[in-house]
Amino acid sequence: MSVVKLMNRLDLNRESVLFIRNGTLVPGDAMLDDTDEIEIRPVISGGAA
Amino acid sequence: MIDLRRHNANFCSEHFTKFCRDQDSRTIEEFDMLSPGDRVLVAVSGGKDSLALWDLLIRLGYEADGLVIGLGIGEYSQSSTGYAQRFAEARGLNLEYVDMEQRYGFDIPTGARAAKRAPCSACGMSKRHVFDEVTMAGDYDVLVTGHNLDDEAAVLFGNVMHWQTEYLGRQWPVLEAGSGFPKKAKPLIRLGEREMAAYCIVSGIDYVVEECPMSKGNKHLGYKEVLNEMELRQPGAKADFYLGFLRRAASVWRAEAQTGRSELGRCASCGAPAGGEICAFCRLVERATGAEPVTLGPTRVRSS
Repeated sequence: MSVVKLMNRLDLNRESVLFIRNGTLVPGDAMLDDTDEIEIRPVISGGAA
Repeated sequence: MIDLRRHNANFCSEHFTKFCRDQDSRTIEEFDMLSPGDRVLVAVSGGKDSLALWDLLIRLGYEADGLVIGLGIGEYSQSSTGYAQRFAEARGLNLEYVDMEQRYGFDIPTGARAAKRAPCSACGMSKRHVFDEVTMAGDYDVLVTGHNLDDEAAVLFGNVMHWQTEYLGRQWPVLEAGSGFPKKAKPLIRLGEREMAAYCIVSGIDYVVEECPMSKGNKHLGYKEVLNEMELRQPGAKADFYLGFLRRAASVWRAEAQTGRSELGRCASCGAPAGGEICAFCRLVERATGAEPVTLGPTRVRSS
């Protein structure tokens, strides 16, 4: 399954998150494996950082 | 490594960091934000945008110190400040620290309740006052903040939706020094939050990921959600909206904003620009000092 497909399945907006696969940032067309460890990191902050 | 749909491109780490540096450099030059040799003060929070900004400025060769404010928002503030301190220590950078409670006698949760203001309103007003004060006292040439494309697009969206034209002039990414204010600039306006988070990850910058616990329900978060729904369907919509405003419409309100600033008097208590005899920050201090402290519950803070 691709990252984009997983995001759609989880109803996530790809503009609001980053996908980190096994510790490495990956783009939307990256393919995922069943053994991959995925972190979905939100990027939207509430105010000025 | 990262896909930027509005640029119709995927980037590897090396070219992505170059892209971020180039966008930052271009913004600084286009809006005449900084000059070689300027002493720059970076408003730092421990979050992705301010730490990425500080890193970018140092790599572009600017002399930049940081300023972090202890807002007193429980564990969240302690954690955020820690990230800023570790970032500075690891790079041998100078980081100034101002604690709200120690210097002014109140923290943000207590101040917000005492003044009957929304927490983000009390926080923003307090931070602006402290940033200005430290910038002027330290003889810095310019104060820079980590406001990014998403932040500015959200503020613009709100101002336009409610036709708060008096605020539109303040959205120019550079405000020149004068009338008691230091020069201020926002070098990250071409870069979005997703890009700033990615920059931190590939550059090995640890930052606090968790949101401020007092920002829940913040209207700008709602605006960002709406804008990201549009961006999903029309990549580049946020940049077109905000950068288009700067190119085509901002000049209409800039003069009004400058006039507004020049008409302000000075606070009888602290000397900062003020609309009345006492500035809004000093009024907040009066109400908050001695008020019953607000105790926050435990906050779950996640690191990068």
